[in-house]
Amino acid sequence: MKIRGIKPMQGEHVNVTPLIDVVMCLIIFFLLVGHIAKKASIKGIKIPSTATGKSIGSQSNELIINLVPRHSDVQGVQRRPRIYIWGSYYTYNNLASVLREYKSHHPSLKLIIRADMHTQYRYLAPVLVACAKAKIVSVHFMTRRQG
Amino acid sequence: MALKRSKIGMHSAHHVGPNMTPMVDVVMVILIFFMLGSSFTSPVWYLTNNTPAIRGGFSNVKTTKFPPVKLIIKLDRRGDHTMATIGSYQTENLQGSLFNWLNKRRKILGKKTQLIIKPHQRVPYQDVITVYGDCVRARYHEVAFGMPTR
Repeated sequence: MKIRGIKPMQGEHVNVTPLIDVVMCLIIFFLLVGHIAKKASIKGIKIPSTATGKSIGSQSNELIINLVPRHSDVQGVQRRPRIYIWGSYYTYNNLASVLREYKSHHPSLKLIIRADMHTQYRYLAPVLVACAKAKIVSVHFMTRRQG
Repeated sequence: MALKRSKIGMHSAHHVGPNMTPMVDVVMVILIFFMLGSSFTSPVWYLTNNTPAIRGGFSNVKTTKFPPVKLIIKLDRRGDHTMATIGSYQTENLQGSLFNWLNKRRKILGKKTQLIIKPHQRVPYQDVITVYGDCVRARYHEVAFGMPTR
């Protein structure tokens, strides 16, 4: 029986189709990851620096609470920052119930607080209390490395 | 004439589809841009806290039982600076002196000491995090945040 081999390529060109397939997949991956990252962490927050810290490993089940600062009022008093989770705005009043709901769906929830370094503690404390109310006993503060 | 044409044609490629080279060039540039862009983002790391709120803080939130030894770090605002007070000890040097003091005290009191950070309501988040970072560096395992003082 005569076995028919693969026909040799006609041209001198290398077949770039698989290369384009892979590269296109990578580009789509980077675009999607960039889009998700942008949605999760809002710009305009200057996170505090620390001399100590660690990475939290796997990014699954993580929930980032963004405290987006607002301009001070006419008298120079700092205004309450806005709370954003996954790009959606939440009030301080409904934060605990929202966190409780997240916690019920994801028991191993990793909660990350991303607040501006100038945010006054009075605006941060209610977020910590909301976490405790939702029985989230482990909270991660997002920081950047000093130096 | 026909023979001549075919001879000239032999030198050109037999490829009949569109020229993919410019597309591959552009796509590669975009890919390298994304890969480099993702590596240039500033590295973040995290400070983890396991007892975020104290018992009897806002709305009587119940948390775990506290160890018997407690140290309360009060943070007050003095002008543009934050002053840390623990009993009679006071410092504005939140990263140097405070850390040294906490480190020495841990050796005396042990790891099971409970630290409660009680910042004034106007203390910026950066200073709260700096003090908390000192506690973590000094290897205190039980650090909680109190309700803001006025």
